[in-house]
Amino acid sequence: MFRLARQSTSLFCQRSYSTTIPKVPIALVAELRKKTQVSINKAREALTHSNGDIAGAVKWLERDMETSGASKAAKVASRETKEGLVSVSVLSPGAGLTTAGGVRAAMVELNCETDFVGRNELFAKLAQDIAHTAAYISEAKSNGRVSFAPLSLDELRESPLLSHNEPGASPTGTVSSAIRDAIVKVGENISLARASAIVEDAPVSPSQTTQKALRLGSYLHGALHGLSTGRVGALALVNLHSSRLSQIIGQEKFREDLFNLERSLARQIVGFDTLSIRPSPENEVEEQALHNQPFITLAGEFNGLPVPEALAKWSASNGLASDGIEGGVEVVDFLKWKVGGAA
Amino acid sequence: MLQVASCRAASRAAFLARSSLVSARQHIQAPWTLNAVCRRGYAEQFSRSKPHMNIGTIGHVDHGKTTLTAAITKVLSQAGGAKFTDYNQIDKAPEEKARGITINSSHVEYETATRHYGHIDCPGHADYIKNMITGAAQMDGAIIVVSAADGQMPQTREHLLLARQVGIKRLVVFINKIDTISDPEMLELVEMEMRELLSTYEFDGENTPIIMGSALSALEGKNNEIGQEKIMELTKACDEWLELPLRDLEKPFLLPIEDVFSISGRGTVATGRVERGIANKGTDVEIIGYGSVKKATLTGIEMFHKELDRAEAGDNMGALLRGIKREELRRGQVLAAPGSIKPAKKFKASLYILTKDEGGRYTPFMQNYRPQCFIRTADITASLTWPEGTADANEKMVMPGDNVEMICDLVFDVALEVGTRFTLREANKTIGTGLVSEIIA
Repeated sequence: MFRLARQSTSLFCQRSYSTTIPKVPIALVAELRKKTQVSINKAREALTHSNGDIAGAVKWLERDMETSGASKAAKVASRETKEGLVSVSVLSPGAGLTTAGGVRAAMVELNCETDFVGRNELFAKLAQDIAHTAAYISEAKSNGRVSFAPLSLDELRESPLLSHNEPGASPTGTVSSAIRDAIVKVGENISLARASAIVEDAPVSPSQTTQKALRLGSYLHGALHGLSTGRVGALALVNLHSSRLSQIIGQEKFREDLFNLERSLARQIVGFDTLSIRPSPENEVEEQALHNQPFITLAGEFNGLPVPEALAKWSASNGLASDGIEGGVEVVDFLKWKVGGAA
Repeated sequence: MLQVASCRAASRAAFLARSSLVSARQHIQAPWTLNAVCRRGYAEQFSRSKPHMNIGTIGHVDHGKTTLTAAITKVLSQAGGAKFTDYNQIDKAPEEKARGITINSSHVEYETATRHYGHIDCPGHADYIKNMITGAAQMDGAIIVVSAADGQMPQTREHLLLARQVGIKRLVVFINKIDTISDPEMLELVEMEMRELLSTYEFDGENTPIIMGSALSALEGKNNEIGQEKIMELTKACDEWLELPLRDLEKPFLLPIEDVFSISGRGTVATGRVERGIANKGTDVEIIGYGSVKKATLTGIEMFHKELDRAEAGDNMGALLRGIKREELRRGQVLAAPGSIKPAKKFKASLYILTKDEGGRYTPFMQNYRPQCFIRTADITASLTWPEGTADANEKMVMPGDNVEMICDLVFDVALEVGTRFTLREANKTIGTGLVSEIIA
């Protein structure tokens, strides 16, 4: 550190009586790189243009990204991207439990060339922000049915990128410009492979007469950096129904148990090679149907029971279907993506 | 007796499964076997006079790993230490295309004045970790390649983390493409940043050799002062800074017991294949595993019904032990040089869980899963849990294809040390392999 400081001062002195090409103090280059993670050459160029002013250099870089970033992205565009992450953003997990109301979530897959980049925090944050944006911009289906629907990638690319960590911050660019910036920083091709969302036109909080509610459970396998990204991800759409629903959904204990159950269901779908909810003739193995699987990912007394049986017992013990009241909980739809995989 | 017999059957099955899983492992443990195969094509003989080491290049795709590898073979070939392998030959290697099963580590080899190197390219984190755990490829040291124009990149952290995770203690850094930089101070910055990052990841940032040059110049035979000369400097730094792994013969004696007999008039004999080291007749050994450590004297060594004075790694031998009753010995224990290895029951390990296609499990598992742990000839039930402090340990899931760090708790103690490999089996099926990373108790 000392060495760094010393050098930079000597450089400043040099500059004052040198009329040849102005040199850029390396301390400034180092600082700019810490701030922006651009390459050494780029940082130097920016500082030369801004006469050693960091703020000016950052501005210059932003402008430069438009042109040189685009050419860098074009250079790597043909390269194969097989690694990467699946990211999920759940803006609202469903009715009644939050003021926001209905179900709103999205899943995206962002690819890169090596898993070194796939494991990097910068890339994971980008994937997370894109999922967040996708969940935000999606609209409910016109037919009123709540299910997973693919999102137009072109539309998503042109959307302003919203930050997952700072939802209030004003966007600094579009999804596609953020991808381009990341390409420049990591030097690998990055591509947005697919995006899907689920949106329910919100019946805000369930009234006294509500007997049905949709909820979402999510799970990502292999998450790093505490973000909602991973190698495999699932969203499970769960339907709760009971004549007592409006009373018990307000109880904190019930909500906590429900959250764990939803998460376990999504985890179960990821863990097993789940292809359908009910047995289907297309399944090669019985356990590819969720209902034929032992519920091993659910902690507690119902662990290991077949999924439908575990759900029935859970409903009874949590008051959805006890004392002669009809009700229950079931998975009605799910979305499961694997990096580079079809489903 | 019945129990012993069934044990053996199981472990034979384990061995079969394991050998098919990591058939390439043989090449690594004995690099010369690969060369023996190559010999069919070339009449050359592999010389074992220099110590062997596996070295890898890690770096960003555009920073010139392959060019550097080609340049090393070119420069060393001028001294007769390598066969020049050009850029396109390295990239065309089928194993780089069809990745996933193994990284073939020995398709590039070269010799310096003092060492023989097998060269590994490291295409990805998960691939490499898997190969490291299963034993298919082992890097003993690595060269981190960074381009001077870019400097370290965000993913350089991941490169260093990988090196850390596979147990590499020392690295050499090659800063490539220095001819693209006009300002020497920028090179200093690249170096400074690199040293800082090395220290962050607990490498010796201060003393790690950092060589600056141009692999392309070396390959094209231009600008010797930044080309050829720098490559020579790099290989010299590797020779001097990277530490050689101990060879099996140099390690302390260890014999995993496969079977036990009692020969009337002579005493108790334990048989097995010497895993490492050398034992002379008359030396003291310890018997470790399944209870307290016992001491004994190796009063006789036998191979093929003939007596010997000395046994070494690789030998199938019978060990005659004085003062030990037949009941005191059992399969799964080891005979070892006193003090060289200790028994343990609880350890942390890196595990690779086989996918369904590799013959492994179809379903995930949670903690407290209890597979059979095969360590050398021992077959012991283990319980797997997440390390203390793991968030949401009760709901963390392990899927086939994952590599994870978990705590293994054995029902009996067995001779263990950091680096011991084992397999996990369940219902006569290998479901994973592991590598001990830390002994706990």
